[in-house]
Amino acid sequence: MTTVRTMHMAELVRAVRTFAASFRLQCLMMRRSPGDLAVLVTAPFFSLMFLSMTEQADRSALAPYAVAAPVLIAVWSMSLFVAGDLISKERGNGTLEGLVATPASLSVMVLGRICAAVTLSVFAFVETWLVAWLCFGVVVRLPHPLALLATLATTLLAMAGTATMMAAVFVLARSARIFQNTLSYPVYLLAGVLVPVSFLPGWLRPFTRVVFLSWCAGLLRDSLARPDIPDLPGRLTAVLVLGAAGFGAGRLLMRRVLWRVRVLGTLGQA
Amino acid sequence: MSALVQSLRVVGYSARNAAADFAATYTWRSWTFGWVGRMLSQVVFFTLAGRVLGAPDQARSRFIGNAVMTCVVEAMMVVASSVWERRAGTLPLLVASPADLAPVFFGRSLQWIASGVATSSIALLALGPLFGIDWTAVQIPAVVLLQLLTAVGSYCFGLVLGVLVLNAPQLRNIASNVAYLAMMSFCGIQVPVDYWPAPIRLLAAVLPVTYGVRAMTALSAGGPAGAVWRPAAAVLLLGAGWLAAAFVAFRVFAERGRRDGSLEFGQ
Repeated sequence: MTTVRTMHMAELVRAVRTFAASFRLQCLMMRRSPGDLAVLVTAPFFSLMFLSMTEQADRSALAPYAVAAPVLIAVWSMSLFVAGDLISKERGNGTLEGLVATPASLSVMVLGRICAAVTLSVFAFVETWLVAWLCFGVVVRLPHPLALLATLATTLLAMAGTATMMAAVFVLARSARIFQNTLSYPVYLLAGVLVPVSFLPGWLRPFTRVVFLSWCAGLLRDSLARPDIPDLPGRLTAVLVLGAAGFGAGRLLMRRVLWRVRVLGTLGQA
Repeated sequence: MSALVQSLRVVGYSARNAAADFAATYTWRSWTFGWVGRMLSQVVFFTLAGRVLGAPDQARSRFIGNAVMTCVVEAMMVVASSVWERRAGTLPLLVASPADLAPVFFGRSLQWIASGVATSSIALLALGPLFGIDWTAVQIPAVVLLQLLTAVGSYCFGLVLGVLVLNAPQLRNIASNVAYLAMMSFCGIQVPVDYWPAPIRLLAAVLPVTYGVRAMTALSAGGPAGAVWRPAAAVLLLGAGWLAAAFVAFRVFAERGRRDGSLEFGQ
């Protein structure tokens, strides 16, 4: 019994080490590659567009919508970008085979790298808040700072988990770029990132409940605007459960995909 | 005259590369359900965003603006695909050849114009009726022509940006994304151009999409012919101006590269 526990502990320590090393590696790589930080350059433009609409229509009360949406767009785009480029870059550099050959889990490595990128993308919140204040004189209050922090933290974790699943799919893809492009605006619509899901056709609405980003969007808007946040713990749990399900599915998928490409000998080929 | 014929021949050869590039990137399924689906979602997203956040009286122009933007977004991919030539290592060979660089690069990314015009036509003609915008059969050729003009004008602007980032290839996606997002913000797509302060209005005034959207909005509203052809002529003039600027920029780029050896080794 003790031996089994020790083995589990050793595995956990190894996973944490892999995660930390991957997180650090991604931070170092992004420092050297300004193109990877594109979402931090584009996020202010989204807030300019959304805030100009509210201000021109004298609807300043909707500013939290205009501030929250670019953050979610940044987080989603960054994770899509990293999940897609991570595999294709390793493949292009000829290092994917080496990575798979090491004893470290590829899923944990992917999770660590995506977590680093997604954490950086949260700076979009600071940017959009500053755009509202400096360009439009709109100060978006933070009435529930702890709920806001909890929402951002759970969003990051769920995003990283879900992106791990996407990275597994990208191993098989001919071009990750097509998936990256395809999974942007349809997901923003389905998740109600800016436009509440009540605007969508009735038959689509049940699907939005299984998109973790739809829970995050509601929570983020509520934590910026409403006097109270209904069922905060339950909604945060929903985000975490959906994110964990994404990571679990990603691990399973990654294992299967890797097995398939090893058998076929196509790991290094797009 | 022979120089013009030679340049057109180079554009033709380069356009064949563009077609091959496009065929290697997309299958008809991934283009239809992936790319077009994504762009139509973008139009719906911003149109509904306007319903939630913006002034209701601009719903019509906002839909048209966002639909026309789809061809501009794709035309701006000329920035990235121009930079791919550096990655492919063909720049020194292109500079060594007797042809000018500008016709080569003008033809090299024409696939985005064809795809962009097709995408925005689908957006305007298929999504339009869902948002209360109907077109008559007589208007359809003018709709396609205006998009073609807007896409080509924006493409010429993108060529200039492409030259500027040829020496900083890592910025190619940032440059094209910032360019089209700035157009979506300031060129009368989400809010009227007059909403912005004078320096931004000046920037919008030199970008072809500002006039392309204006012409398309006038056409959809059944406005007088002058309200359509005057902004359309502005798109044409501005496009020609940006194309001339691109020719000069490519010459300067090639000359500088020859002198300092940065053609192959630029960062």
